[in-house]
Amino acid sequence: MQFDWTTFVLEVLNFLVLVWILKRFLYRPVLEVLDARQARVQDEMAQAARLQQEGASLRQQYEERLAHWAQEREQLRQQLQQELAQQRAAGAAGIRQSLADEEAKARVRNAAMTASHEAELVRLAAGEAYRNVAAMLGRLASPPLTASLVRLLVEDLAGLPEAQRASLRSAAEKLVAGARAEVGSAHALDDELLREIARGVSAAAGRDLPVTVSVEPTLIAGVRVAVGECLLHANLADELAFFRHQDGRG
Amino acid sequence: MNGGELNGGVLFHLGPLAISDTVLTTWGVMLLLALAAMLLTYRLAPLPKRRQTIAEGLVAVIERAIGDVLPADAVRRVLPFIASLWIFVLTANLAGLIPGLHAPTRDLSATAALAALVFASTHWYGIRAKGLRAYLRHYAQPSVILLPFHIISELTRTLALAIRLFGNIMSLEMAALLVLLIAGFLVPVPLLMLHVIEAVVQAYIFGILALIYIAGAIEPIASSESVESIDSGAITEPLNADAAPGVPPAAAVANPNDKEES
Repeated sequence: MQFDWTTFVLEVLNFLVLVWILKRFLYRPVLEVLDARQARVQDEMAQAARLQQEGASLRQQYEERLAHWAQEREQLRQQLQQELAQQRAAGAAGIRQSLADEEAKARVRNAAMTASHEAELVRLAAGEAYRNVAAMLGRLASPPLTASLVRLLVEDLAGLPEAQRASLRSAAEKLVAGARAEVGSAHALDDELLREIARGVSAAAGRDLPVTVSVEPTLIAGVRVAVGECLLHANLADELAFFRHQDGRG
Repeated sequence: MNGGELNGGVLFHLGPLAISDTVLTTWGVMLLLALAAMLLTYRLAPLPKRRQTIAEGLVAVIERAIGDVLPADAVRRVLPFIASLWIFVLTANLAGLIPGLHAPTRDLSATAALAALVFASTHWYGIRAKGLRAYLRHYAQPSVILLPFHIISELTRTLALAIRLFGNIMSLEMAALLVLLIAGFLVPVPLLMLHVIEAVVQAYIFGILALIYIAGAIEPIASSESVESIDSGAITEPLNADAAPGVPPAAAVANPNDKEES
C-alpha cells in the first residue's frame, strides 16, 4: 500500500474535470429536458384542469338550461291546457247558445206554422160554415123575408145615428141633380115597398131621392141601397159577409 | 502481479509528472464517460427514444436518490458531484474486470483523492448553505469540549472512506488473482461475478456516504448522529426521517461493509 502524491493530485484534477464534463454534457441537458417536459406536463395538466373546469361549468350551464327549458315547457304546457280548456268551454258555450237559438227559431217557426195552419183551418171552417149557412138561408129566403128586411131598413133609417145620417146626407149632396138611389133586391119588390124605401132614404138623406130597383139573387134575401158613395145593407148575404169578415179578423 | 502493480506502477513521465497506470486508466474512464455522455445526450427530443430514455432514467434515479436525503433546494446543487462520484467509482471499479487493466480504485492514492474531494465538498456545501461562522459554530456544539472529537471524526471518516474503497477493491482483485493462479482459467468466473456486485455496492456506499456527509454539513444536528451511526455499523433502523427520509438502503448496505472491514 503506497501513496503517490502525483497520482493523488492528478486524480483530484481528473475527477474535477470529469465532474465538469458530465455536468456539461450529461446532467445539464438531461435536466433541462426533464424540466421542460415537467413544465409542459404541468402546463398540460393545468390546461386539462382548466378544460375540465370549463367543461364542468358548461355542463352546469347546460343542466341549468335544460332545467329552465323543462320549466318553460311545463309552463307552456299548462298555459296551453288552460287555453284549450277556455277554448273548449267557449266553443261549448257557443254551441249551446247556437243550439238554443236554433231551438228558439224552430219553436217560433213551429208556432208560426201552427198558427198559420190554425188560421187556415179556421178560415176554411168559417168559409165552409158560411157556405152551409148561406145554403140554408137560401132555402129559407122568400119575398116576405125580403119585405120584412125592407121594413127593418126603413125603421133603421128613421132611427139612424146622427153620424151615419150626416154621412148619408153628405153622400146625397154630392149626387148630381136628378140622380137616383140604386136599390138592389134579392126578390122583386112591389111599389109599396119601393115607396117606403124612397121615403125612408129621402128622409135620412135630407133630399128627395127617387130609387131604381134591380134584382140581385146573390143577396139571398133583403135589399142593398146605394146613395152615391154610401151603401145601406139590409140583406142576408151582406150580413153573412160581415160576420165572416168579423170572424176572420177575430 | 506484485505489490507495485496493485498500487499503480509508473508507466511514463509527462514532464515532471509520473503517470501511473491508475491515472492512465482514469483518463480512459473519463474518456469513456465523456463519450457516453455525449452519445446519450446527442439530439435530445421532447419525446425520448431508447438512448435518451437511458440518460433520463439514470439522471432521474440519481436525482431522486439525492432528493430522498437532501432538501429539495440543494438537490440540483449537489447532484453533479454525487452523481459523478457514483458513475466514476462504479466505472472505475468495473474497469478491473477488463483483462490487462486494474481498477483505479484499488489505488489508495485515487481513493484518497476522492475522499479528500468528499471532505472538501462537505465543507464547501456546508459553508455555502449556512455561512462560514454558522458552519464552524456547529463544531462547538453542544459543548466546546466536543470540538476535538468533531475534528477527529471528520478526519477519521474521511480516512475510512478512502481505506474502505481501496481495501475492498484491492482485496477483491488480489483474491481473483490468487484464485486464478491456483485454480485455473475458468474457476475465477464466479469471483468475477462477485466483483461486479462488489463494484456496484462499493460505488453506492461511497456515494451515499458522501451524500450523507454533505447532508450533515447542510443540517448538522439532524444528520450527524445518523452518520456516526452508519460508521459504527449500529444502524438497523431507518435514518433520521427529517434529514434522510429515504436512506434505509444505505444503512442496510453499510452494515455488512463495516463488518467486512472489521
